[in-house]
Amino acid sequence: MHEYSIVQAMFDQIERVAQTHGAQTVRRIRVRIGEFAGVDPTLFQSAYEVYRIGTPCADAVLQIEHVAAGDDLILDQVELEVR
Amino acid sequence: MCGECGCGDEKIVPVDVHERMLAGNDRAAQHNREHFHENGLVSINLMGSPGAGKTLVLEATARALGRDAKLGVLAGDLATDNDAARIRAAGIVAESITTGTACHLDADMVHHGLHHLPWRTLDYLFIENVGNLVCPAVYDLGQDANVVALSVTEGEDKPLKYPTMFRKADLVLLTKVDLLPALDVNVATIEENLRKVMLRPAMLLVSAKTGQGIDQWIAWLRGVGRPRGAACATGIGVEP
Repeated sequence: MHEYSIVQAMFDQIERVAQTHGAQTVRRIRVRIGEFAGVDPTLFQSAYEVYRIGTPCADAVLQIEHVAAGDDLILDQVELEVR
Repeated sequence: MCGECGCGDEKIVPVDVHERMLAGNDRAAQHNREHFHENGLVSINLMGSPGAGKTLVLEATARALGRDAKLGVLAGDLATDNDAARIRAAGIVAESITTGTACHLDADMVHHGLHHLPWRTLDYLFIENVGNLVCPAVYDLGQDANVVALSVTEGEDKPLKYPTMFRKADLVLLTKVDLLPALDVNVATIEENLRKVMLRPAMLLVSAKTGQGIDQWIAWLRGVGRPRGAACATGIGVEP
């Protein structure tokens, strides 16, 4: 269940990006997960549902793009709500 | 501000990140790798199921290579110091990394583990990963090569069931081959399955108990970091 530690790493990245832009809230997260990344997208989504509670991502939509025959494990884009 | 998505809400800012989620681990792994190379150390990430024979392979390696080269082991386990204790009994330095509930080692754990090992004096560092055919494959530790121990008792289709692990492997050690006469397992089928998933198929048949294949394994180790050639061609089964 390394998906949990990967989601944790992604949250650290998102927090850094949000801080840089002075954002309190994340609206959308786009990630790319390859077939050979060794990460199960369903488990990734489940881990995300657990971690998001009480964070700036609490209401953010997670969009997972599946990549056939790739080993991508990429945080592509975040949409931030900036006051 | 939100000219890109056209939603009309000026408060929404799309930010392109395009970074690997494990970028933090990758940086820590690169840090380990630089340390290893500065000190002329060859590092091996040894992975495999619980009970695949990883520790036994390391004990056999200690006997075969321990006189010619300085070896060290970082042994990852959820609990207990048993593996490191066994390896120390074989005469080489070993330290445990107890991961608690974590199913894999990451680069930071290895870095912390190094603080308890005289790693600068070593020629070879073996990182015995947590027994698991899934999660360890995802994390770079800074190693020069990934080796997967697969025992003959695990069945022929493990490479197909756990493709990510075998895809990342530079070498598969087919362990416990002394048991083959008692099993209904076809080595050619395992080899065929490895060819389907490994990027550069390479397999050696070994028995830590009888010593079969240990010489070829040592020869393979001596070739890590050098262009692949004769050392691997002596292997039975899959060619380099």
